[in-house]
Amino acid sequence: MANRVPQPLDVIQRWMQSVIVHPAGVAAGIKSASKTGEMEQGADRLEELICRSRAQTSIERLEVYSNAYKARLIDVLIGDYPAFVHALGEEAFVGLASGYLEVHPPVSYTLGELGRSFADYLIQTRPPNESEDGSPDWADFLIDLARLERCYSEVFDGPGIEELPPLDSDRFRHLPPEQWITSRLVAAPCLRLAVYRFPVHEYASAVRHQQDPESPIAEVTRLAIHRREYVVRRTTIDAIQFDLLTRLVEGASIGQALEQLIEGNSQAVVTADELSAWFRDWAAAGFFIGLAT
Amino acid sequence: MMPIPRCGHPNLGLGVGLRTVHFPYLLRHQPEVDWFEVISENFIDSHGRPRYVLDQLAERYPIVMHGVSLSIGSTDPLNLDYLRKLKSLADAVQAKWVSDHVCWTGVASRNSHDLLPLPYHEQSLQHVVERIRIVQDVLQRQLVLENPSSYVTFTASTMSEAEFVARMAEEADCGLLLDVNNIYVSSINHDFDAFEYLDAIPAHRVVQFHLAGHTNLGTHLIDTHDNHVTDPVWELYRKAHLLTGGASTLLEWDAKIPPFPIVHAEVMKARNYMSSALSSFASQPANDQPQANSTVLTSISSTVPHPATAIFAEVE
Ligand SMILES: [Fe+2]
Repeated sequence: MANRVPQPLDVIQRWMQSVIVHPAGVAAGIKSASKTGEMEQGADRLEELICRSRAQTSIERLEVYSNAYKARLIDVLIGDYPAFVHALGEEAFVGLASGYLEVHPPVSYTLGELGRSFADYLIQTRPPNESEDGSPDWADFLIDLARLERCYSEVFDGPGIEELPPLDSDRFRHLPPEQWITSRLVAAPCLRLAVYRFPVHEYASAVRHQQDPESPIAEVTRLAIHRREYVVRRTTIDAIQFDLLTRLVEGASIGQALEQLIEGNSQAVVTADELSAWFRDWAAAGFFIGLAT
Repeated sequence: MMPIPRCGHPNLGLGVGLRTVHFPYLLRHQPEVDWFEVISENFIDSHGRPRYVLDQLAERYPIVMHGVSLSIGSTDPLNLDYLRKLKSLADAVQAKWVSDHVCWTGVASRNSHDLLPLPYHEQSLQHVVERIRIVQDVLQRQLVLENPSSYVTFTASTMSEAEFVARMAEEADCGLLLDVNNIYVSSINHDFDAFEYLDAIPAHRVVQFHLAGHTNLGTHLIDTHDNHVTDPVWELYRKAHLLTGGASTLLEWDAKIPPFPIVHAEVMKARNYMSSALSSFASQPANDQPQANSTVLTSISSTVPHPATAIFAEVE
């Protein structure tokens, strides 16, 4: 045990952290820290800082932390992105996740935030699409899978509607038309609308049910992702429904939303019966929690 | 005046660390369990199933909150937003107490999600004591801190971990969560006497015990929480129980988690070590080498110290 004045705690902590999170390992981390002047002790003088044990050198002991750092965080990402890992294979995923963690190291107190930027990272680092007609490729599939699985995580643990009274779908039926037109729907906080280039939801569900799905063929897929009884649900919707729901979620009145829908899409022929069936279904599914008249 | 045992906290009995894989079982069977400990970070922001399950359990069982991100030893500023969330959850589920570790988890705004050891000297002691006082002010309750497993020690240390922990608890007036498996793991890794460690701890400050399994890698032990509690750890527990007069005891099982009844049965074994007499083993120093008492693993692929307990989505 030493008697000389110890290194200030913040210096030791910055040094140790930089060493154990160094992507090339502890030895490289020590080297880089001694180069930048963070700590004068290089690997040859490491025992001046970290005691060796009976069975391990100082470097080997620091490697316990370095290995654990990476393994622990990658395990969490594997849990967050099971379908993605299945599609890419675990070995390739470990490489990809290591790159991600270098660019987006954990900064939050919660591991729930660890995978937040994974899809963005994939978009920034993807190989170019080389298909001649620009049709969605393998990287697009992986990116969409990552977007979907992140969405699932956020919906799963975010605010939901389980504690709220269900919206009475009869209210739609009994509302006089002039009031119905000016009403606004209050969207459930757990409702997400998203467009994917592949039916990634089917792939993700198959993996979660321990199947071994084939990678799907590209097909534009619009999903309403929501939550009921604390379990994430997803419903495919068509282009018109997606349009309409998007405008309603953004705060348009029902009348405005329908008007914009017809302006923007002359093909959109929706009968009044169809419309009221949609609204009933959406209310029953819990997409909306209130009607502001 | 006689010090008050357990800092005045009740002895809740034998509890189990709440893990998501057991949610369905617990809700369906409502088993007879004395109490549950939850990982605070998995619940302080939850508006979904984890929080719902916790609220259900809190109606029936005593709950203790155990955190991993307080980073009491870091030189970064304390995260007040995080502390307020801890307090609000503690109030909502009427947590019996709130605990974390004697460690730092990151610096320069990063979180390694590991429990990194401190050098043990006057400077670090004063730093930690000061921060415990701030945390106790914000939480408006006494903090309980756990000794971590560690894999390095610093040449700059001027005192043993036990002395550091003891002085810290007295000076900051906080409670202690004594993880007997961590004491054992560190005693092998750093070659100290685990029983002497126990003797150095102010017994009346021990609010809680942790028990867990570890992994023997031949050159060192790792605190993997993935197995049954080993015999030397039970012997340490026997002595700890004797010294303290007993305290709430909790089993942590975080990797390769078996069905709930197996985890619960493991902590129930603690009753066998609550007799007053020490076994012959306990009078021996516990500094047997790693190879001596369990199968040696050579691969490190599945051995993560203090495995993360994260929450993953459930999708239809
Ligand atoms: Fe522990």
